[in-house]
Amino acid sequence: MSSLREYFHTDWAAMTTSDWVGLITTVGIFILMVALFVYVLHPKNKARLESNRHIPMDEDDRFDTEDKK
Amino acid sequence: MEATQTEQKYNFEVVRWFSIMAVVYLVVGTLVGVIIASQLAWPVLNFDIAELTFGRLRPLHTNAVIFAFGGCVLMATAFYSVQRTCGVRLWSDKMAWFTFWGWNVIIVLAVITLPLGITQGKEYAELEWPIDLLIAVVWLSYSFNFAMTIAKRKTSHIYVSNWFFLGMMVMITYLHVVNSLAIPVELFKSYSVFSGVQDAMIQWWWGHNAVGFYLTAGFLGIMYYFVPKQAGRPVFSYRLSVIHFWALMFGYVWLGAHHLQYTALPDWTGSIGAAVSLAMIIPSWGGAINGMMTLSGAWDKLRTDYILRFLIMSLAFYAMSTFEGPVMSAKTVNALSHYTDWTVGHVHSGALGWVAMVGAGALYHMVEKLWNTRMYSASLVNLHFWMATIGTVIYITSMWVSGIMQGLMWRDYDEFGTLTYTFAESVAAMHPYYAMRAIGGLIFWAGGVVMLYNVVMTVRQAAGQRSSSAAAATA
Repeated sequence: MSSLREYFHTDWAAMTTSDWVGLITTVGIFILMVALFVYVLHPKNKARLESNRHIPMDEDDRFDTEDKK
Repeated sequence: MEATQTEQKYNFEVVRWFSIMAVVYLVVGTLVGVIIASQLAWPVLNFDIAELTFGRLRPLHTNAVIFAFGGCVLMATAFYSVQRTCGVRLWSDKMAWFTFWGWNVIIVLAVITLPLGITQGKEYAELEWPIDLLIAVVWLSYSFNFAMTIAKRKTSHIYVSNWFFLGMMVMITYLHVVNSLAIPVELFKSYSVFSGVQDAMIQWWWGHNAVGFYLTAGFLGIMYYFVPKQAGRPVFSYRLSVIHFWALMFGYVWLGAHHLQYTALPDWTGSIGAAVSLAMIIPSWGGAINGMMTLSGAWDKLRTDYILRFLIMSLAFYAMSTFEGPVMSAKTVNALSHYTDWTVGHVHSGALGWVAMVGAGALYHMVEKLWNTRMYSASLVNLHFWMATIGTVIYITSMWVSGIMQGLMWRDYDEFGTLTYTFAESVAAMHPYYAMRAIGGLIFWAGGVVMLYNVVMTVRQAAGQRSSSAAAATA
């Protein structure tokens, strides 16, 4: 346990501006990725997201109809 | 929709030209590859002419296949699919033509300067500073036109293929500008603003992300549009494609340092590069499975649709090389594989198996749509498919054997701690595999020639059909 504590020890006082920018960016992106997974895989969003997969299939019909409106 | 209406609605002429040039550059770029592969097997082929030596032609080969062939495929497919998925014409026809001519001028300049030895010496970014500036301007014209076409779209949602293209455009602009920062001293001589270990880090931050964003994200944009179109079925899971996109965008930028294991670079940078590389197997395989499973319930189409074969086989190679790469980035494996031909084999399983195959599949699909006809010969498409597949397999297996043998020979030592083999002995041992690699490349190149012939005949056939239709209408 003591070796693990040693392994994860961080000298916060020695952190430079670049270190802080990198740390905040990394943690921020990690949180955003978790939020993305939750949003995309939530069952209530399934139908709305999956409806977009037909876009290349019906492109000509859809745009023909829109042009005639 | 009638072909003529489609023609008036969209700008397909520039897409046609990009498509034709892509096929031409496929043949030219792989021919230079076959020549330099042969030079490694039979050094006499250098002919003692500086401009034709391996060192001069190798960057010409990489620039030709990546930027000439790959660039024209990306520009053709992006301009084609963005118009189709957004239901609008390109934002600016003039800017699209500027992109076409500008990109081709860059390629001509590369063909002139690289054999003359005019180079920055940065891998995959050899071209000197005036050409770098031109690349930035032309790339921005391509990106801006694409983004503005999306901005005026008729649909509410931006289809995922456009996300991948946009991600590539943003990242390549950023990567190209930073990596190319240099102080010019003459018209064709400059020095990088970076030096030492920083230069190495920036080089491979660019180098790996050229693979990650240009040759992967961009070509995934192609996959997400052309696989469903050719298969006639929507993509297997749109949700998976969203995860694939964001994981790729945020993950890839970390990987460059895995090219510099056991160097002067801080050890932790190589470790994080390897760790994120291994994590990237998940989104990469998610994307490959998403593409392949689009055929779920319709696998029989592979029996008759030769264009679809290219697209699906490319995904198999994509899955294979995105597994192999992370494994090679792990320090234990890297200790054996680095600086050997295994790396060359890995690169070509991605370049020939993934990039060229998905590119060829998309080009065949577009040629039929753009000229409103069927391919001149389906048998020749099938012949090309098998030549590309067999050529790629011969190439990468020879490099696997050669690379692992090299790694083992270099690290072997006797009971006195002396190296068992000299470097020259390891070079001599590679000869059969270098000859085999040249043969694999030759087969792949010949497949490209078959494609060029088939495409030219298809265009001529379409022109003949149009003339006879016009004659019938006037009669």
